Amino acid sequence: MKEQQTPNRSVKVGDQIPQWVMPNVLPERMRTMAAILRDPNPVHWDPGSVEALGFGNHTINQGPLGLAYMINMLHLWQGPRSIRRIIMTFPQVVLDGDCATARGEVTGLRQEDGEQLADCRIWLEVKGRGIALEGSAVIALAG
Amino acid sequence: MVPAHEIEALVGYQFPGGEYTIEHWENFLLTECTGGELLPDAMVHPVALFHVPILGCNTSIAEMFALGQAESDFSIGIESYDWELFAPLFEDTRYQISGRVTEADRHQYEQGPTYDRIAFEFTVTEPSGKDAARCTITWHYRRGLKT
Repeated sequence: MKEQQTPNRSVKVGDQIPQWVMPNVLPERMRTMAAILRDPNPVHWDPGSVEALGFGNHTINQGPLGLAYMINMLHLWQGPRSIRRIIMTFPQVVLDGDCATARGEVTGLRQEDGEQLADCRIWLEVKGRGIALEGSAVIALAG
Repeated sequence: MVPAHEIEALVGYQFPGGEYTIEHWENFLLTECTGGELLPDAMVHPVALFHVPILGCNTSIAEMFALGQAESDFSIGIESYDWELFAPLFEDTRYQISGRVTEADRHQYEQGPTYDRIAFEFTVTEPSGKDAARCTITWHYRRGLKT
């Protein structure tokens, strides 16, 4: 039987999650990521291939990296063991040089298996271009 | 264009499966790429839930592109990633990975172009036998692009 946690009464539906900012998406990090992921897609390391697609002389950030910015936000909010589920969609690409801000809000609260869970809407805003990633997260609240 | 029945036949396809151990150097570099701080107690940044299941399952992004007969690297679009985290991942732990195709079918965008929607589900299991994570990747294989 799991230990019952003390309900976290400080989090309420409608609360905004403190934002997390990546001030400058760096192409060097995309190249490191491409190597770790064994991702052969040149859009992450060859600006010429991206220019041919009509996005200018840039590289395209890996989807998981944009998602990671939101993970960083959630970790700072409720701790590194708090994430139970993330579902993410990718309406726009994130490019090198972008300033990206992870944001979120609490949409629901519930108890499950002895944990108090917060359902959250989370998204990544790119300065000047709007929402690039959008999805949801289930977060176990610290007691 | 690849026949739709060849795409639909992918449902149930099993990757070979295997194991994956995340070493400190890899977690360090991954975490640095995210712009975040290393997590305490040798915990792995959850961003690893993209590539660890794929590589640990003895496949690759390139093989997944080829499995759906992608017309080019540029023809792939991401529909969604769905990551369920049952326990944190830790460095130097040998995880067992299994993976399969759960959905594969043909669609058309409202604007007209055709795409094949393929969902891959991977399970990451701790040495104890307890599942640590389940990750579903859903990609669109766009057909007839000019690039």
